[in-house]
This record gives sequence, structure tokens and C-alpha cells, in this order.
Amino acid sequence: MAFIRLRDVSIEFPIYSGSTRSLKKMLLSTSTRGNIGRDERRRVSVQALTDIDLDLDHGDRLALIGVNGAGKSTLLKVLAGIYEPTRGRFHAEGQVSALLTASVGLNTDATGRENIVTRGMYLDIHPRVMRRHIDEIADFTDLGYYIDMPVRTYSAGMIIRLCFAVATAFPPEILLMDEWLLAGDAAFLAKARKRMEDFVAGSSILVLASHALPLLEEWCNRAILLDQGRIVASGTVAEVAARHQAGTG
Amino acid sequence: MVLLAQSETPSEASVEFPPVPSHVALAWHDLSAGLIRYWMWWTLAFQDIKLRYRGSTLGPFWLTLSMLFLSVGMGVIYSHLFHTDAQTYMPYLTMGLIIWQYINTLTGEACQTFMMSESVIQQVPIPFSIHAYRVVCRNMVVLGHNLLIVPIGLVVFHIHLGWNIIEIVPAVLLLAINGIWTCMLLGMLSSRFRDIAPIVGSIMQISFFMTPVIWPADALGIYHWLADINPLFAAIDVLRAPVLGVAPARWSWPVLIVFTILGSGAAFALFARFRSRIAYWV
Repeated sequence: MAFIRLRDVSIEFPIYSGSTRSLKKMLLSTSTRGNIGRDERRRVSVQALTDIDLDLDHGDRLALIGVNGAGKSTLLKVLAGIYEPTRGRFHAEGQVSALLTASVGLNTDATGRENIVTRGMYLDIHPRVMRRHIDEIADFTDLGYYIDMPVRTYSAGMIIRLCFAVATAFPPEILLMDEWLLAGDAAFLAKARKRMEDFVAGSSILVLASHALPLLEEWCNRAILLDQGRIVASGTVAEVAARHQAGTG
Repeated sequence: MVLLAQSETPSEASVEFPPVPSHVALAWHDLSAGLIRYWMWWTLAFQDIKLRYRGSTLGPFWLTLSMLFLSVGMGVIYSHLFHTDAQTYMPYLTMGLIIWQYINTLTGEACQTFMMSESVIQQVPIPFSIHAYRVVCRNMVVLGHNLLIVPIGLVVFHIHLGWNIIEIVPAVLLLAINGIWTCMLLGMLSSRFRDIAPIVGSIMQISFFMTPVIWPADALGIYHWLADINPLFAAIDVLRAPVLGVAPARWSWPVLIVFTILGSGAAFALFARFRSRIAYWV
């Protein structure tokens, strides 16, 4: 069974300005030992997430709500295993598929079919296996003859279809999605939701970050509200959404 | 009191959280998990080559051809300059240039190992070593294309290969291992410090003139030790000498082996320490 556990997870981003990126400045600052040196070495950092406690189990469909910069995307990256927490503990079991931005590993000069294989590879799926399933994936995208055209001729919506189709081709146990995915049209969203229901029924976890509250209410059964990297509210989507709107409106 | 507090907390935590593996174990796991996904870096490396030569008729064989032109052109002029006969100098020069090109290009691209794959590193948690294997594999493919002119040279210059031609197997293997640690080390350093790449570039430029690539090591006379201790010369010599049908210089193998061990050790230590920071750096 897939599960995710986070205890007191904090993420601190070092901000490398021009001078901390430079080896020369760094070496000079260690050798001078004066005030300037200390100033040079003082690293600026941003606390992106603070003391996050979160338990997710199979069947959980979690909505991440919060204003821009609240830490939604950073939390998704922690859940995907990209950022190792600077403090706290994180443990997840289950095969993860993350749709964080549209562009990952997309080769715009290659065709849709070629990109299906490449993206599958990043999901740890052997190209041979991917090629066997390429037709059913192409079918799901509804791209028609575009599937054999270079991806640079695609619209944003078409790229979304392609990426979603690959990410869910082999039902993942944990699916993480950032809001860009919801930019698809109504017909695609209906299709996507149908597929999502199929696999969430099969004991899986969905985490979805978005500002589209009606859509989150439709897709999710839990929600947390993030503000400046902290969880400030959790509960049903309706409750948390109301709290969020009270706070921002 | 203190003892009690210590014994209580871990038992509670260990219910859900398995013990965290050590930095060294995680780094080792990254390297081996990347290596067994040979299909991933192999495919990515070939994709890189295909993309680079998309739309060109000769494709990567342009490399072979331009190397042929370069070695013929330089060979004629430089054999006059160095007062050697073209018969022995041309094969020496060509092999030197081919191997140098591999080392030089790899070192340059090593600095971009993680930065080039930034979008992937920020999206999917695949082993970091995959990116290093990809760079080395790509450059090995280019090296392979360049080596296609060797058979022509063997015939034209009547070179008789000795039994020691089998030395090229460990030589290529060591070149690959050195490539991997170079990519891991420089890839990490230059994603943290953005001025590493230009520094490496100028070091390599100077090294080209200080290393017996296009001039014979014997020309150093009493300063021959300068070539003996030069790991770049050792790397070139162990692959060049067997192809020319001669024995490598006495110190080439020992120097290269020591260099490989030291380099791998340093790169591994740094990787174990900073592996989890790479995603933050790129």
C-alpha cells in the first residue's frame, strides 16, 4: 500500500547571488577574515517550508491550496523525492509519477511518439515496454495525426494531453500534479478525471496543487492550506477553501 | 533521566521511519542504480548525437572526416617543423589528437553535466549518476567514430600491431572511469560555483601545450619526467602506444592507475557529502 509520511519537514533554499556563486570571491573571503569576508560569506536563504507534518494513505486525494509562493510547488517536489528536506523526516512508499511542469525531457524537434518513449524513460520505464504501449497512449491523447509531428508544432493544451497520457499510462501509486495540468479544455479534463478515478480506486494517492477551487472540490477529498511555508489549515476541501477565501478576500 | 529520554524517542520514531541510510550508502546506491539503467543513459547519449547531426547527410561521420583532414594537414607541416619523417609522425599525431579531443571535450562537457539536465533534475528523481554516464557514453561514441580512421592508418603506414594491442581494453575502461568521476566532480563543483567552467577551460588549453600530444615526449630530454608525471600524457599514451604497435612509456600505467584511484576517491567523497544538495544548486 502506498503511503507518505512527513514529520517536521523544513526546506531552506540557499540563494546564490553573483558573489556566492563565484569561487574566487569565496576563496578570497575565507582568507581575509575581516568584516567584508564575513559579509561575503553570509548566505541568504529562503525558508520555503517550515515544520510540515503530513500523513497520506491510500485513497487520499489531497488538494494543496495557497497563494502564490505559499510553498505548494516546493511541497510537491519534496513528495516527489526531488528536494531532500533540510530538516525533518520524509518517508514514502509507492511508485511516484509527478507532473510538475510541462517541459520535462520534452524534445521539441522529436515527434509525439518519440517523446512518449523519452518521457516514459524518465519514469523509469524501459523504451521497449513503452513502445509496446505507444498506440494506446497515443489514442488517449486524441492528438490524431499530430502524434507523428514534431512537438514544437503543438499547442500548450496538446502538450498537456501528451504528458498526462504518459504519466498515467501505467497507473502510478502516487500521482503529483501542479496546476498547469488543469489548463486543458473541458473535454480533456473530463477524460482525465475518469482515468484518475479508475486508478485512485485502486488504492492510490493523488496530490493536486491549484487555485481552481471548484475543480479541487470535485477531484479531492482532503485539503491543506499553506501560507508562507506552513500548514495553517486542514480538513475537507470546502472548509479549507472557505478559510482560504476568507483570508484572501 | 537523560538515558530514559534517549531510549524513548527513537523507538517511537522508528515505527514509521526506517533508519536513514548513510551518505556513503546513498551515494553508492545512486552510482549503481544509475549504472544498471544502462538503457536510459545509452538512449539519451545516442539521442544527443542524433540531435546534434540532425539534417546532415554524413551525420557523426563528419567527425571522422574532419579528423582525417586535420591530421593530414597538421602531419605534413609539423613533421617538417619537428624534422621527423611523416611515416612515424602522422600516426602518432593522429592518435594524439583523437584522444586529446575526447579528453578535452569530455572535460568541458563535464562542467555542464548537471546544469544541462536541470529541467530533468527538478522534475524526476532519477539517479544523478545517469547524467554523468550519459556524458561519458556520448563522448565514447564520438571517440569510436574518430577511431574509424585507425584501420586506414594501419594499412597506409604499414604498422604491425603487437600482442599488446589488447592493452586498449583496460585503457578505454580507465578513460571511461576517469570520465565518470570527472563528470561527477566538475558537474557538482560548477553547478555550485559558476566560474569553474571557464577555469577548467583555460587549464585544458594550457595543458594541451604542456602535454606531449602533437610533439614527441622524447623531445623533452632531461625534462622527460614532466611527461612521466602528467596524467593526461599517461591517459593518451596507454591508448596510443598499443595502436602504434609500441609499448607505452614506463610510468604511464602506474600514473594513470594512481590518478584514477585518487580522482574517484575525491569525487566519491564530495558526491557522498553533497549529493542531496545538487537539486538545490542547479
